[in-house]
Amino acid sequence: MAKIELIDIKKQYGDTKIVKGVTFTVEDGEFAVVVGPSGCGKSTLLRMIAGLEDITSGELRIDGKVANQVSPDKRGIAMVFQSYALYPHLTVAENIGFALTLKKHDKAEVAQRVKEAAKMLQLEDLLQRKPAELSGGQRQRVAIGRAIVKRPKVILFDEPLSNLDAKLRVQMRAELQRLHKEFGSTIVYVTHDQVEAMTMAEKIVVLNQGHISQLGKPMDLYQQPQNTFVAEFIGIPKMNLLDGEIQKNETNMFVCSNGLRIPLAANYQWTGKGIKLGIRPEHIDLADNDQWQYDVKIIERLGIETYLHLQRGKEDVIVVRLEGDHDLDIDKVSLHFPSELCRLFNEEGQVLLPNVI
Amino acid sequence: MSIASNAITTNGTSQKMTKSQFKTYLTLILISLYCMVPFIWVVLASVDPKASQFLKIPESVSMDHYWNLFANQSGLRWILNSIVINVSATIIALVFAGFGGYAISRTKAWWKLPLLYAIILVRIVPPPALIVPVYKVMLTLNDWVNALINAVFTDVATQQTMSRAFSFVDGYLGLILILAAMQLPLAIWIMKTFFDAIPIDYEESAAIDGATQWQTVRKVLIPLAMPGFAAAGLFAFINAWGDFLMPLMFTSSPELQTLPLGLFRAFLRVDAIDYGFLTALAVIYTLPAVIAFSFARKFLTQTFSGGVKG
Repeated sequence: MAKIELIDIKKQYGDTKIVKGVTFTVEDGEFAVVVGPSGCGKSTLLRMIAGLEDITSGELRIDGKVANQVSPDKRGIAMVFQSYALYPHLTVAENIGFALTLKKHDKAEVAQRVKEAAKMLQLEDLLQRKPAELSGGQRQRVAIGRAIVKRPKVILFDEPLSNLDAKLRVQMRAELQRLHKEFGSTIVYVTHDQVEAMTMAEKIVVLNQGHISQLGKPMDLYQQPQNTFVAEFIGIPKMNLLDGEIQKNETNMFVCSNGLRIPLAANYQWTGKGIKLGIRPEHIDLADNDQWQYDVKIIERLGIETYLHLQRGKEDVIVVRLEGDHDLDIDKVSLHFPSELCRLFNEEGQVLLPNVI
Repeated sequence: MSIASNAITTNGTSQKMTKSQFKTYLTLILISLYCMVPFIWVVLASVDPKASQFLKIPESVSMDHYWNLFANQSGLRWILNSIVINVSATIIALVFAGFGGYAISRTKAWWKLPLLYAIILVRIVPPPALIVPVYKVMLTLNDWVNALINAVFTDVATQQTMSRAFSFVDGYLGLILILAAMQLPLAIWIMKTFFDAIPIDYEESAAIDGATQWQTVRKVLIPLAMPGFAAAGLFAFINAWGDFLMPLMFTSSPELQTLPLGLFRAFLRVDAIDYGFLTALAVIYTLPAVIAFSFARKFLTQTFSGGVKG
């Protein structure tokens, strides 16, 4: 088991900066997910941990030892590739045992360890098959088998579920969590899917354009996003962001946006001009009054919940989530924004105060 | 025929379909026969004791021509020469194409495209245009090699044997190298394209698993590239096998003669043309290409299915 420390890691190809100084620590046995949109540098970051890419500057420590120049096979890691990279000319058993065979382990020991891994992943009946004869989920499990058979200190996952269909993805998420509990290996998992990050991670690193946008526990990121990027990236549907400004009278502060007027805490310090008001779809309520009426554009009924896509004038669409099924036949609704659940961000997209009321 | 009329005469459709199919098949069969007639003639004449230049069903079947080819003429020698020279040339071409194709496929250097076009350019130049300069180069190399052989070996018999094997002109080595070089451009292109299609994930995965460079080549790259090698090898072998110009240019001794040269010289003999002998030779000449193809077919159809993605 191992702790991974990244200290101001940078990666540059020519003049193009891919990773622009990333610092974080994955504790021993922790399940860390690096999440971000495509092109944010997350895969490059993972490949640097694996040793497949050189680190331009900064320090990578595995188990307290600097590992920048250590070759990939000496780092005590295993990696599951997005493409699985199963060797088509080898059987499942040979694929799983490949690393051990290379290291000239005893044949009986290889067979034993392959069997153990296969049992854990329910692949025992498929050991003699070639990858071409497997389904997507089975291939995925073989790829994981190939990683765990080495008993690595660290397992790296590079978008491992992106080739699976939605149903299988849910199943594999549960499977990965189970494996993590059984093994206790440190896991660094890269994905663009925030659902995978939220469901599996103990720690999430949100990466955007080569920088860490925010780092923390899943629920902290959800409830206390530090910037508009994280606010919009974490959570489906994304957090609604409305342009607005701050207004004051003698006793109160208000945030105003296109006619909306929501009272704020009186001691709130603000000198700038523009502001963004963020509120999650599930935090908006329908109101009985005729104030702040919105046109209903689309209603999405999922049975367990209902989404309303609303618009007023040329403003951005606001999404509201209602609990349960609602067979609504209406053109207009009024909304109520609970002020204690609103988040405020400045023009640069940074959160104003974590405890804005 | 219009779609409308087809739609109305629904009852007659199946009848018409078979008629049109019949016409299609008849045309195709006729074309196939036209293409196959020379082969049929070659095979029939080779087993006909009274073979002539006309297509006819043999009155009796005998293997005399084949027997004559191997027992009385130098047929066996030509075949062995052809096999040794072409197999060696193919192997050399494949080794270089494997390394070269891999390197060109993986490099990101600026010279990648210029080099690829330069390789194609070599291929575009018609071989006869190169005869004089290539012969000059080979002659110079030949002088060096023979000087070396004469310096190392004192025994005349050994000198002659070594000279036969390693001479660049009128020796095996020269012909093998020139044939390999001629096949190399296409082989490199095929291998480069093939390695392009092999995801780098395989190599990276092997690297993480602790494979050495050599293990990666032997256990990962070569097995994955087998279809590419089969295709490149097949083209190289069949092209080299059919090459007439280079053996003509670079060999003069009868003991070095390859099959196409033997066939040609047998055809040019002043006495009456022995069609039986020529066709038997032609059949033997065709066989290795067919065998090579059936051998390569197994690998050609192999794919990465299941290896990557879902």
